[in-house]
Amino acid sequence: MSTLLAAAGSLEPAARSYLSPTGQEIVFLLVGVLVLGAAVVSVTTRQLVHAALWLVVALGGLAVEFLLLTAEFVAWVQVLVYLGSVVVLVLFGLMLTRAPIGRSPDADSGNRPAALAVGAASAATLVTLVVDAFRSSWIDLSGPAGTTRLTGEFLFSHWVLPFEALSVLLLAALVGAIVLSRAKGDGTKPRPGNLRTVLTKTKER
Amino acid sequence: MHLAAAYDTLAFFGRDPWWLVLLKAVFCFAFLVLTVLIAIVWERKVVAWMQLRIGPNRHGPWGLLQSLADGVKLALKEDLVVKGADKAVYILAPIVAAIPAFMSFAVIPFGPAGNEVSIFGTRTPLQLTDLPIALLYILATASVGIYGIVLAGWSSGSTYPLLGGIRSSAQMISYEIAMGLSFAAVFIYSGSMSTSEIVASQQPTWFAVLLPVSFIVYIVAMVGETNRAPFDLPEAEGELVGGFNTEYSSLKFAMFMLAEYVNMVTVSAVASTLFLGGWRAPWPISTFWEGANHGWWPMLWIVLKIQLLLFFFIWLRGTLPRLRYDQFMKLGWKVLIPVSLVWLVMVSAVRALRNEGYDFTKVLLYVGAPLAAVLLVALIADVVRKKPEEPPAAAPPAAFDPMAGGYPVPPLPGQELPPVPRRRRRTPQLQDALNGADHSEGS
Amino acid sequence: MIATHALAAAGGNSPSIPAPHIEYGQLSPMLVVFGAALVGILAEAFLPRRLRAATQLGISLAGLVGGFVAVVVLAAQGHASTRAGLLAMGSVAIDGPALFLQGVILLTAVLAVLTYAEGRLEPRINGHRIDAFAAQAAAVPGGEQEREATREGLRTTEIYPLTLFAVGGMLLFPASNDLLTMFVALEVLSLPLYLMCAIARRRRLLSQEAAVKYFLLGAFASAFFLFGTALLYGYAGSLRLGEIADVVSGVAPVTPALAVTTQNDALLLIGLAMVSVGLLFKVGAVPFHSWTPDVYQGAPTPVTGFMAAATKTAAFGALLRLFYVAFPGIRWDWRPVMWGVAILTMVVGSILAVTQQDVKRLLAYSSIAHAGFILTGLIATDRRGVAAVLFYLLAYSFVTLGAFAVVTLVRDSKGEATHLSSWAGLGRRSPLLAAVFALFLLAFAGIPLTSGFTGKFAVFQAAAGGGAAPLVIVGVLSSAIAAFFYIRVIVLMFFSDPQPSGPAVAVPSALTATTIAFGVLVTLGLGLLPQYFLDLATKASIFIR
Repeated sequence: MSTLLAAAGSLEPAARSYLSPTGQEIVFLLVGVLVLGAAVVSVTTRQLVHAALWLVVALGGLAVEFLLLTAEFVAWVQVLVYLGSVVVLVLFGLMLTRAPIGRSPDADSGNRPAALAVGAASAATLVTLVVDAFRSSWIDLSGPAGTTRLTGEFLFSHWVLPFEALSVLLLAALVGAIVLSRAKGDGTKPRPGNLRTVLTKTKER
Repeated sequence: MHLAAAYDTLAFFGRDPWWLVLLKAVFCFAFLVLTVLIAIVWERKVVAWMQLRIGPNRHGPWGLLQSLADGVKLALKEDLVVKGADKAVYILAPIVAAIPAFMSFAVIPFGPAGNEVSIFGTRTPLQLTDLPIALLYILATASVGIYGIVLAGWSSGSTYPLLGGIRSSAQMISYEIAMGLSFAAVFIYSGSMSTSEIVASQQPTWFAVLLPVSFIVYIVAMVGETNRAPFDLPEAEGELVGGFNTEYSSLKFAMFMLAEYVNMVTVSAVASTLFLGGWRAPWPISTFWEGANHGWWPMLWIVLKIQLLLFFFIWLRGTLPRLRYDQFMKLGWKVLIPVSLVWLVMVSAVRALRNEGYDFTKVLLYVGAPLAAVLLVALIADVVRKKPEEPPAAAPPAAFDPMAGGYPVPPLPGQELPPVPRRRRRTPQLQDALNGADHSEGS
Repeated sequence: MIATHALAAAGGNSPSIPAPHIEYGQLSPMLVVFGAALVGILAEAFLPRRLRAATQLGISLAGLVGGFVAVVVLAAQGHASTRAGLLAMGSVAIDGPALFLQGVILLTAVLAVLTYAEGRLEPRINGHRIDAFAAQAAAVPGGEQEREATREGLRTTEIYPLTLFAVGGMLLFPASNDLLTMFVALEVLSLPLYLMCAIARRRRLLSQEAAVKYFLLGAFASAFFLFGTALLYGYAGSLRLGEIADVVSGVAPVTPALAVTTQNDALLLIGLAMVSVGLLFKVGAVPFHSWTPDVYQGAPTPVTGFMAAATKTAAFGALLRLFYVAFPGIRWDWRPVMWGVAILTMVVGSILAVTQQDVKRLLAYSSIAHAGFILTGLIATDRRGVAAVLFYLLAYSFVTLGAFAVVTLVRDSKGEATHLSSWAGLGRRSPLLAAVFALFLLAFAGIPLTSGFTGKFAVFQAAAGGGAAPLVIVGVLSSAIAAFFYIRVIVLMFFSDPQPSGPAVAVPSALTATTIAFGVLVTLGLGLLPQYFLDLATKASIFIR
């Protein structure tokens, strides 16, 4: 890990200043504001599907932030996995159960004040913490720190064991999902006397 | 040090002046739109030819301007916005469907990764740009395109479009897995995810020959991914009226059609880049003509390949009936994905053994033997295994009781209707008597 | 084959990255267990239904026993002491505590799997044996489909591979040497457990509710752990426990990248707090204990026994490694907090247990109290503390497993009769079973001549030696409260009249009988002749960095 940091280049807080931001930094901030806004709308809107869509905007914005930090591999994986699969599955779940157009008044459990308090408190803690911790650190992005190649090398040399363990986790999740959802065993026979079973079985043959 | 090397191979990209980037982007856009216009006429002509009809022949010579006429017609139609729709999403959906379709084309190489051609005095490669992870980018944009269809289905506020949207999201996610797995074999063989390097590494042999299973899986998956026949379930007219685009009209509908055809072109381009040697000249030409792979010529080869794949799409549509939805899902999850997985393991085993320096016979032994063993075991198991007994010759069905439970009922499967009691034939005497009567009357 | 030829002929042009160095031999306990899980899944896919249950049991036992043999061999080769080391590019530490706990987890798992296969407790239906797991987890509880599945004798045999996956995660958890591996191991052990909670055969709604509750709270705890990990990475610039320790104690060379963050104690303390929350949740310590009673009650009893014993062992192993390897440098900061947690856990667990009317809930609260006792050993922060915790975990695992196995035997027409009132007079109906359960309860209470006494004595001694005398006093007082309700159950079993319509005691097959017998044996053995195991724990009490 320390090699990775070393590869990121030295930090030279003295040479930088907040007062002359580069174009990249300005874009980074603007996208950050967009992500924040989308996230806030996502949790406050009363339209279920819109909430999921604003989540898409927030996650996509994060991918842009990764791109701006030159971590293109992470950025596109973020798009592929979170936008392309996770939120689509969320939408899928919504639409298979209920996805009304317009407001759903019962989507609010009445915990808004409590949720607001918890959210605000944790946001405040985090912001103070991170701002306090990283004050004026600058990371030089010209190095190969975010490249696919370096990411791959770290993943498959230093982190190969957790990586493989994750595959075990996914396999266990797959097995579990099948156990919990597969409704009909192959052994079910049509029972005599049940017209419907007989008919469907005949059709299948 | 190899990091620097990795940078060098893509060194020709990202150096163009801004006007050239703009030019290339406009070219990509124009190329796609033009190809779509041609493809639509092409499709109608080819399908007509396959069905022994003439096809469009009124607009322009041989009906070549048919697509233009269609476009004008679509643009002039009334633009409906359904009352119960979620308006913002309803308008956004066609745009979301169309934009990602165009985006993927940015990384398709039309020529070698070198300063091959001169455009207004600037030497440049025939490719808009390339990324070290270009194929990941293609997969990512393709997955964003799903939103257009899902949201179109949902925001119409109507049942059939909703079902079509759900179908399409399930379909695209399922087939994206098989697609990604077929890509992975290519990555293992080319050692890169950048399109230009993948084409470069198909130097002696195309990957379609080296990785036939991946190629076939990709070809099937790409048809599924573009919602084309025989996998056009999201817009199955017989089941879902028109699917996700039922409630759309005019230009919004045109956008969906555009997205579908652009996607066809894009996946064809990806297929030719990954498996069919990209811009490389096909085999017999490349043997005697050195210059075929330089200058502007490569563009011809890749356009030809794309057109041939488009023809393949049309051919499929003209030939195959639509699959049932469960058959389609079964094909994706129970055939394509397992086959790709096994194939991927074999490919990586071969690569690993080659990297370790084993010679060919040993590689063949180590990779082929387990496969042969598994197949043998499967065969033996299949022979030895007790076959599921034939269902006992359907017990003679109970006599049909036409008034079971006190109501008139139809026969169950297997039951036979008792012979309908017929009227007895007229007795001969009666017949004669009648005939005789006729005679007497007539005489 | 032509294709293969061409494949092999094509030359590689990619310079390969250096292959990581993996010590397969020393990772073999985990590899064997994961391998058995994979074989189990294949068996599930290809074997006909009637052969599955027996084959799965065989595969699981083979894998677990194989793993245990591997642990013993590794220990005999000195990997627990002189040859301990960091493996798999520094992700895993195989040392004394890791091997000791892996051995305990594997043995518990072997016994737990035996109780899974028990099929004699209920009368056969349609000629099919009935076990503790739902015939078909997807069927609606009480619906037509469920009845049909039961009639056909379907069984959820996937429970065996799932258990093996969980065991694999548990083996990795106390051995993980960086926070990322620890997180992955945490997930690998938790996810199968969430699933297994949901597939009880009887009282399925309760079981499903328990699973959902466990899953939601567990996911929340995992999120805490991950967040803490991120903060600690921000602080130390590394996820390896040893490197974090170096940064904490100021030994590490200051790189310019870390110049600012390493001086930031807020990052360190909040990160540590969040990581601890994740681990204390798994342990079941008090502010994070609320899932325990519901989940213990709802889960199928064999799973509860496995979960109560093995999860606690694994989670305490990880907790020990975290505090002893990564954060000994700031022990003056975390010790007061852990004091509070330990006191709360002991007191709340003991007091709430007194009010329980359900045997499984009672055992759940008792497990919370025991987590508190073990925490006192952890607070000692010296070698004796580690040894005491290791010994306590060994003793506690077998008692818990035995106790839950006994619970499966007391049944009425609705399945297990877990309400305390129906246990009245059990000693008159089945003196042997009641005596065994009484022995386990006495061991929980820490009465001399049982393993519980030795364990408690060891942790309290270590805590007192580590300067935590007030903690010991609280511990002894809560033990007294706890003893009250354990004795109350014993009195109920032996000195009250049996209800006329009370439960019957099922006669188990050799499988459950083995588990219970083993539990009794270990309980008495560790109580009467503890010295060998105390020495073993002491020898195994050094963490590698």
